[in-house]
Amino acid sequence: MRGPGVDQDSTLGQPGRTVRLLAAAVVLALTAVGTVWAQDSAFPVGPFRMYSTRSGPDTVVKSTRVDGVNALGDRIPIDESETGLRRAEIEGQLGRLVADPTLLALIAESYARRNPDRPPLTRVEIVVRRDDLRGGVRTGEFTDTVTAAWDAEPVAAEPVS
Amino acid sequence: MNRVARWWTEPMPLARVAAFRVLAYLFIPIDVLLTTSWVAWHADVPTDLYQPLIVGELLNLPLPTSAFVVGVKWSLVVAALLAATGRAPRLLGVVVFLLYFEWMVIAMSYGKVDHDRFAFLVALAVLPTVGAARWGDRARSEAAGWALRCVQVAVMLTYFLAAWAKVRFGGWDWVTGATLTRAVIRRGTALADWTLDVPNLLVGAQWLLFSLELLSPLILLARSDRARVAVVGLLVGFHVVTYAGITIVFLPHVVAMLSMLPWERLRRASAAPVAPAYALPPAPLAGAPPANA
Repeated sequence: MRGPGVDQDSTLGQPGRTVRLLAAAVVLALTAVGTVWAQDSAFPVGPFRMYSTRSGPDTVVKSTRVDGVNALGDRIPIDESETGLRRAEIEGQLGRLVADPTLLALIAESYARRNPDRPPLTRVEIVVRRDDLRGGVRTGEFTDTVTAAWDAEPVAAEPVS
Repeated sequence: MNRVARWWTEPMPLARVAAFRVLAYLFIPIDVLLTTSWVAWHADVPTDLYQPLIVGELLNLPLPTSAFVVGVKWSLVVAALLAATGRAPRLLGVVVFLLYFEWMVIAMSYGKVDHDRFAFLVALAVLPTVGAARWGDRARSEAAGWALRCVQVAVMLTYFLAAWAKVRFGGWDWVTGATLTRAVIRRGTALADWTLDVPNLLVGAQWLLFSLELLSPLILLARSDRARVAVVGLLVGFHVVTYAGITIVFLPHVVAMLSMLPWERLRRASAAPVAPAYALPPAPLAGAPPANA
């Protein structure tokens, strides 16, 4: 049994110490390079840029959401857990989705996978809300714009053989 | 040995590593199944929406198909629970690190990258290097010291480099902008909405946040147990307020911070009834203040 309190400290051999110091130096260097020059794609050593962009006190605040129309014709808001993509992820791919709205079919697809008991979506919209800001204070005015939309093909007739 | 090497490998109690390891590994099932459950949603997202990171392309990581995401998820949960037992710390620790790393690649490859994981990833990477560490160990070790130092530096960098990013992407006038106003409009809670009607309040908060981030290297100067408890308390307070305001919490980062706490003292406190306090040997930590009676 060990005595109380005064066990011998264990030390590192020279190789163990050198390898550890080198590993720390390499990770520090990569992180520094990532912070100074790289973008988010360099994760986990990319820049720590959460909330790093500056919003002007008089510029609008944009918030993106997904709306849909289901097979029953109901217009419904689609939340993150229903598409499998977080709002910021939709915003991160917004350029791509606007350039090629057929990609929204993929969102309808993941909605169907995640909600097998509900009627499928026949229309998917990306809606951007712009909240007005004056001197850093919300004026209460906003506009909603559909920036990308996709409609399911009408159900195809039986193929003629 | 020069001063830099000594600073990085200053001996630390093995019992602290043993305690932190249990916390870190037990946090993983909570993270995967509860607090960051959105990662698993990606199993249902078509791979055409996958936007690979540099690391995913360099290492040629597989496309996150539904089966792959589900497979990584449950392997990770099982491996973390096994690792929390303290058995085969090197082997299981490496397995958990690799699986968690892949889990993070799955998380961050769909158009949004989060920054709350750096210190936790570093913790998972260095924990296996300590090897055997038991709660009953009374010794300190340089391997433990290096591992805990790495996590502490990673925690500090998460703040300090966030200040750097604000200057890089937002400019020096970031502090006078409306970034926090935007954050509260987009995701403010009932607890935070009132701040929108007081414009200078959020600008003041930006000044405070940016200053504290710039001062974060002071974390490394917290040498005594008491100072480190105070630092962790302050930082946890900041993250709790942020969560109350905009429901963003750097939970993995907060868990990594727990490595700075003197967990081995709990053992001494619980052992105290066995021997009278005055008979306890002096605390083995050089430079530490005497234990509170």
